[in-house]
Amino acid sequence: MTIDSDSFLTALRLSDSFLPVGGYTASYGLEQYVNEGRIGDGDDLRALLAGYLRRVVGPCETVALANAHDASSSDDLDQLLEVDARLHAVTMPSEFRESSTKAGAKLCELLAGTEEDLASVDVRTGLRQKFATRIDAGETPGHYPVVFGVVAQSRGLPRLEACLSHAYSFVTGLLGAAQRLGRFGHTEIQRVLGDLESVVVEICDRHVDDDATAMASFAPLAEIMGMRHERAGRRLFMS
Amino acid sequence: MGYRDVAKIGIGGPVGSGKTALVRRLVPELVDEGYEVGVIANDIMTQEDADVFRESFGDLLPADLVEGVETGACPHTGIREDPSMNLAAIDEFTERHPDLDVVIVESGGDNLAATFNPELADYFLFVISVAEGEDIPRKRGPGVTQADLLVVNKTDLAPYVDADLEVIESDAADVRGDDPFVFTNCKDGTGVDEVLEHVDREVLFA
Repeated sequence: MTIDSDSFLTALRLSDSFLPVGGYTASYGLEQYVNEGRIGDGDDLRALLAGYLRRVVGPCETVALANAHDASSSDDLDQLLEVDARLHAVTMPSEFRESSTKAGAKLCELLAGTEEDLASVDVRTGLRQKFATRIDAGETPGHYPVVFGVVAQSRGLPRLEACLSHAYSFVTGLLGAAQRLGRFGHTEIQRVLGDLESVVVEICDRHVDDDATAMASFAPLAEIMGMRHERAGRRLFMS
Repeated sequence: MGYRDVAKIGIGGPVGSGKTALVRRLVPELVDEGYEVGVIANDIMTQEDADVFRESFGDLLPADLVEGVETGACPHTGIREDPSMNLAAIDEFTERHPDLDVVIVESGGDNLAATFNPELADYFLFVISVAEGEDIPRKRGPGVTQADLLVVNKTDLAPYVDADLEVIESDAADVRGDDPFVFTNCKDGTGVDEVLEHVDREVLFA
């Protein structure tokens, strides 16, 4: 794997919790697992997040991201809209969809307001701008992994590295949420993160070349947790 | 229409200092002045809490102009480093109510270091309570020193907590220089008119 310095920094920036797209408000059902006493220790957390990676992030979000990246490189808006629509259809809990689309819209908006350096004709009139316009008009949901794929491609971050960055940030986002919801030591959390790195690599390798039509998630308990969270007795998170 | 098209007032301050009480005092006055107002409360814990908050404004505000935003146990992040979800909520307000004039964003309970992101709040009030101790202003927390208006609330409790209002006044003047501060008792409304005058002058007529 070779990656140039600019792309490497793009990967860091996109996977950093410093990126202001509201990631800290999303737990993707994790809060409900905690509310129901289903997570007791780091082992539970590791098993749960490995499940998320293998059942949702890999076959669903990574496939969407990789295909959005492809659509961006071939300047194919129709394909991009198809990927976005498909991700919307396979994301069952409404709060998961809401967290993802809000973050997607904010990433678009953020870059529009900060990329004067890249405001070439390509960016102003290109696929990313057309996609942002469709999102603004409410014509496409604008899911975060889809926007992420387009942004990564337009900034020169290769497809696999973009998928790895996204999956990694998903894991750190949920580990951060777990730490705020439960009582996990920082060393324990880092140990779980280290253990999950191989799963991140595994699911990205497995799904980076999947066709968009293969996109599907199978995580019924996580989805039920996500749905129960809507009526939870305690809510610190938006999902 | 979007968040850039409405006036935004941030209200921060420690837990229990009277932020919500101030919001409940200000909203009827602003509505009475003819403004269309939206209110966002951060860290609403349950839908029931959100419903109670909506009901507290009775017929003053449409239910869809009162919103709770959960900040993932990071109240400061929500108003400072990453206000994106608050801005998204304001965007939803403006989509539904294009004539909206002003949105009040009430933060979750803060420590004295909390400040509002200037892209989220055009004007930022920081509310402290005399019951938190008369030494709060002289700690020089960024919330106390950088707010556009410092509100020192619950003045009625001063005698019961050994807080000397003259000390608080002197310290507040010292740490804030020429920037204003107001003493209030939001329970009976004392001082709220003065807060409103600042808001009118600095935000709505600015």
